[in-house]
Amino acid sequence: MKKTKWLAALLAAVLCVGLTACGSKESTEEPAQPAGTEAAEPEETRTEETEPEAQEPAEAEEPAEEKGRLMMATTTSTEDTGLLDYLKPLFLKDTGWDLEWTAVGTGEALKLGENGDVDVVLVHAKASEEEFIANGFGVERFPVMYNDFVVVGPAEPIAKTDDIESVFKQIIEEQLPFVSRGDDSGTDKKEKKIWDNLGLDTSTDPNYVESGQGMGATITMADEQKAYCLTDRGTWLKQKKDADLNIELDIVCEGSKDLLNQYGVIAVNPEKYPELNNEGANDFIEWICSDEVQKLIAEYGVEEYGQALFTPNAGTDN
Amino acid sequence: MKITDLHKKIGRFELNVESLSVEPGKIHGIVGSNGCGKTVFLKLVMGILNPDRGYIDYEGILPQEITMMTQRPYLMRTSVYKNLIYPLKIRGIRPDEEKMDELLDRAGLLEQKKQYARSLSSGEKQKLSFLRAMVFEPKVIIMDETLSNLDAESEELFKELISMRQKKDPATWLIVNHQWDHVNRLFEAVHYMEKGRFVKNEIAEG
Amino acid sequence: MIDWMINVFSDKAVLSAIRVTFMLAFGSTLLSSVFGIAAGLLLERFSFPGKRIVIRINRTLMGVPPVVVGLLVYLLLMRRGPLGSLELLFTIPGMLIAQTLIITPIISGMVYSYACRFVPAIRVFAITMGAGKWQTVKLIFAELRKELYFCMVTGFGRSISEVGAVMLVGGNIKGSTRTMTTTISLLKSQGIFTEGVGLGILLLVMAFILQCLCDFFQREEVQDENY
Repeated sequence: MKKTKWLAALLAAVLCVGLTACGSKESTEEPAQPAGTEAAEPEETRTEETEPEAQEPAEAEEPAEEKGRLMMATTTSTEDTGLLDYLKPLFLKDTGWDLEWTAVGTGEALKLGENGDVDVVLVHAKASEEEFIANGFGVERFPVMYNDFVVVGPAEPIAKTDDIESVFKQIIEEQLPFVSRGDDSGTDKKEKKIWDNLGLDTSTDPNYVESGQGMGATITMADEQKAYCLTDRGTWLKQKKDADLNIELDIVCEGSKDLLNQYGVIAVNPEKYPELNNEGANDFIEWICSDEVQKLIAEYGVEEYGQALFTPNAGTDN
Repeated sequence: MKITDLHKKIGRFELNVESLSVEPGKIHGIVGSNGCGKTVFLKLVMGILNPDRGYIDYEGILPQEITMMTQRPYLMRTSVYKNLIYPLKIRGIRPDEEKMDELLDRAGLLEQKKQYARSLSSGEKQKLSFLRAMVFEPKVIIMDETLSNLDAESEELFKELISMRQKKDPATWLIVNHQWDHVNRLFEAVHYMEKGRFVKNEIAEG
Repeated sequence: MIDWMINVFSDKAVLSAIRVTFMLAFGSTLLSSVFGIAAGLLLERFSFPGKRIVIRINRTLMGVPPVVVGLLVYLLLMRRGPLGSLELLFTIPGMLIAQTLIITPIISGMVYSYACRFVPAIRVFAITMGAGKWQTVKLIFAELRKELYFCMVTGFGRSISEVGAVMLVGGNIKGSTRTMTTTISLLKSQGIFTEGVGLGILLLVMAFILQCLCDFFQREEVQDENY
């Protein structure tokens, strides 16, 4: 009897400790939430997420009737930067669709579309996207926004510049450590394309490694190894700000025209997969390309990082 | 072997041997009802249990010259033959295979020599463990219920081997046996136990 | 089908992943067996204050998610961690440390429970035979041989199937610390399933072989009990 009581007490104690630990963690993580959700309209976000049907007191406009789930495949950068968390409740309110997504590399995102596992894709590898449509899996590509890439790394020996060619040349010539994602993601494709365009062969640098992981993990690895890497600005800013350990790398190259990264949104072809939510996909495309949302994207991140993470450019031909 | 003020407490059970003298070279029977402490006493003598207090004077007999056959014999996971010669092996003695075969043959185990020991029947297992205890000629041999539940033939074999040993080089035997009627002819001394104490010692004539 | 398998397994990166996986599995199983078997047997042999807590912790660690161990080892080995100067992060020795930490409790826990079941009888037997201290130890190893193999095979199986810790600590670097499991997870993230399936089949075959070994050791045990 005594033993069981003692055990129960111990169990209870462990649970309490566990709960408080979780609780405090949540509360410490709260301020680290993406800027948009917290800063822009915190009240709205919360009510929308917990009680989607609740009336929105701050706005006069009635939220749209709930219609169901819209499944999207997208790249890790849109999730890592918190952009999607920022847009999701707004999209639900405006159109009634509950947006859910899986954040993977561009390669896999398109594969998910090809297999009819998602309704819409939001990715950034123009050539692959066009191929995706040419193969009949997607309907039409709409440019949404772009962000830019930066090369980060130790301040020595590469001095900060806007000339990507000189930076990459120096890395190869001096066999500097470089961490590539090597996961066939949009960023990875972009990086490979730059090396190709410059006619540089990465296999001649024994310190060029492929992490096979996401952008955040790759930046962390580069930081550990004091290596260089190519990253999108959004993930870089977020990582630099949120990581527990101060990242000791700096931007060594930015502003080159080669470093722009165009996002496109494509509805998966309903002729291939009639059971898909094509209506929701079209609503999403129309919504994200609307002037109002484009403006929201342009504002996203300014408050938290001091600069916008994405530049909207819907309606252009990028 | 002299035992003085030997004391051991296990749970509620208490063993208390004020004084017991075990004459060497004789066959001693220990008799008592279930739970009177026979096995505890034997384990103390064997050194499997340590006494809470008290002292056993082995009178020059080394621990490795004592053996005990437990109620359920432990057979190693190997062949019958390797089980038999294990005590010789750890003593660095080269077994005389002919002699061993002879021994096995006597016990009717020669055919099973290479067989996996644990696949023997329970009677065969008892016989093997008996042979194994005899093979290195220990000076004190303790048998805890080893002679119970044997068929008549095996019992005869055991008796024969015991008397053979006693003629050649008498060992001290401590035997606990439930059906002690069958073997009591062998006993040269009988010690009666009750509730953890020795109450009576009978020394047989001649 | 065969052509396809040959094609998959002639890829240099895939071969390197297979090599790394096996190196890790053999290395960590060996290290964990040394530590785990010693710990399990010593734990059975000696009593000390707090032993029950140690056993409980051991049992807990047997089920600890590998990523947790991976994170711990990562924090230890990272450049600004306590062991950062050893420069073991993203190296095979670093992964070896992580896997050894994962597998050792599994082996020691299993060895401990087998020891509790079998060793007391062996020890009594050794006393009755007049065996010395080292002879007793030798006897225990000989008698528990099958159980110990079984524990080691289990540890090996854990090692080849582990993803979380090797991903974190190894960093999944191509041609260097990439293992079969992390290759599969990477290939999946690229939307390439065929090579992943190839590696998956190889892992399945290996799991099957391990299972056969386990069955073999366990069948012997069942036979023993049968008296």
